[in-house]
Amino acid sequence: MKRFIVSGIETLGAAVVDAVHAVVELWLVYVSTIAGIVRGLSRRRGGRGRPKGEILRQLYYIGNKSFIFIIVTLGFIGMVMTYQACLQLSRVTGDYSQVGQQFLRLIVSDFGPTLTGMMLATRVGAGIAAEIGSMKVTEQIDALRMSGVLPIDYLIVPRFIASIIMTLVLATIGAVVMYAAGGLTANYSWGVNPNLFFDLDLARGRHFALFAVKSIAYGAAIPVVAGFCGLRARGSSEGVGWATTAAVIGSSFAVIVLDFLISAAALFVTGGDL
Amino acid sequence: MTSDEDQPQHSLEHLQAQTLAPPPSPQDMTPIAIAGLGARTLEGLGAGAIRIAEEVGGMVVLAGQVMRALVPPRIDRRELFKNLYKMGNRSVPIVALTAFFAGGLMMLQAGPFVIKFGATALAGWGAGYAVLREIGPILIALMFSGRVGANNTAELATMTVTEQLDGLRALAIDPIRFLVVPRVLAMITMLFALTVIGDFVALAGASVVARAMLGIDWSTMYHSFADNLAPYDFLHGIYKSLAFGFAIAMSSCYFGVTVRGGAVGVGRAVNAAVVAAAVSIMLLDFFLTYTTG
Repeated sequence: MKRFIVSGIETLGAAVVDAVHAVVELWLVYVSTIAGIVRGLSRRRGGRGRPKGEILRQLYYIGNKSFIFIIVTLGFIGMVMTYQACLQLSRVTGDYSQVGQQFLRLIVSDFGPTLTGMMLATRVGAGIAAEIGSMKVTEQIDALRMSGVLPIDYLIVPRFIASIIMTLVLATIGAVVMYAAGGLTANYSWGVNPNLFFDLDLARGRHFALFAVKSIAYGAAIPVVAGFCGLRARGSSEGVGWATTAAVIGSSFAVIVLDFLISAAALFVTGGDL
Repeated sequence: MTSDEDQPQHSLEHLQAQTLAPPPSPQDMTPIAIAGLGARTLEGLGAGAIRIAEEVGGMVVLAGQVMRALVPPRIDRRELFKNLYKMGNRSVPIVALTAFFAGGLMMLQAGPFVIKFGATALAGWGAGYAVLREIGPILIALMFSGRVGANNTAELATMTVTEQLDGLRALAIDPIRFLVVPRVLAMITMLFALTVIGDFVALAGASVVARAMLGIDWSTMYHSFADNLAPYDFLHGIYKSLAFGFAIAMSSCYFGVTVRGGAVGVGRAVNAAVVAAAVSIMLLDFFLTYTTG
């Protein structure tokens, strides 16, 4: 019994120590990324930083390549959510006049950026970790360091900038698709008048501010967490697999926690009148 | 840099050339140039469609093989229990945390109404309904896909690229029966079990947020859940989770056993598996909601 308790405490302690180490390292990657951006601003282009055109390339890989994925997933979830909401209302009041307005409020202030963030955490986070992890285990990162290039400036900074821009763009597109898909579902399945559904009366400036804040926060979190997991990859193919798994979990969880924190802060700041 | 098979290297240079070259003047856009552009776009779309068809077909074939292997149910019991433990027990913390935050989030979204109309008795209605039917199962499935599905792909892919599957075949052990079937069964069972746990944790999360941020009593929340939620709301999310578990299992095993090419290939397989799982979760969710309400 005593041994059981001791071993339990040991396991717990090891987990806590590991977690603290990971958080410190993650924080260092984040700070270095910000420092890398500042360095990139103060230095002339084409120096020892990232290769020319790297940000554009990353914009293409993060943004354009995720376009269809985001449209399909958010479109379907928009349909499901409207369907469920109408279904529930049909049992209680049968009054659908509020569905569209409330759906818009929910999309703009929460679901649009958060579900886009979850989807990008899956797709982009796994991609970044797989790529950087493969470079790590084939010692290309060490080769970069040997040639006097900072891996974070070279690899993570362009992805960071591209991810922030593209999360904002994709969240906007995703939210529009979700709204449209919801409106069509409400019309076809429940006979809600589109004019009634696409009513922008309840949309406020603060909802859009929340939308932007959330998108930027997720866009900044995903490449940092995924890049950190990739840089920690060890061993060979197994290590890359582990790194990719950790990146998906870490960045999805970062999105959920950030969403919670930002929503709670917004509720406090506006005094509940969101 | 990693070279991508499905994203050929020349497309990168092509993109760079496109972005760095001066924009074409209107005179340059001859009908032939436009036709060429259209043909390239069509070609890309067709290649994508063929790849998707190939992947879906491969998963269906794998599902058929798994079903076939189940007919006289001879399952390696040790492998099954090992996977049940690894996929289920070890995922409880992450699933519980996700569910807790998901429940809290839904309560935060319902918060403004509750404050505006003072309708504390209805607080549990919106939050509980959204959590049990949609947000809970979907978020838990996505986290499960990230933790267990991706991990499983990485493991199977590593075994494939190190030729351990061929080794099993050489010993006359069917890798589908020995490796894939226990994993599929374990994933379906465990996602189901984790969703049941997660639903209750999510309701607890909603109550905690309601108490801490909106000042609603525990008992008010409890009655609000009990009065407004029907057992079917709970069941609806639960049987969806069975379908999600099947989809995650199929995509993760398929990409695990069909991987090619070393460490780079393993990373790409994991990436493809989680993307396929996310898309199939959303599609299944839609069709199940539509057909069964």
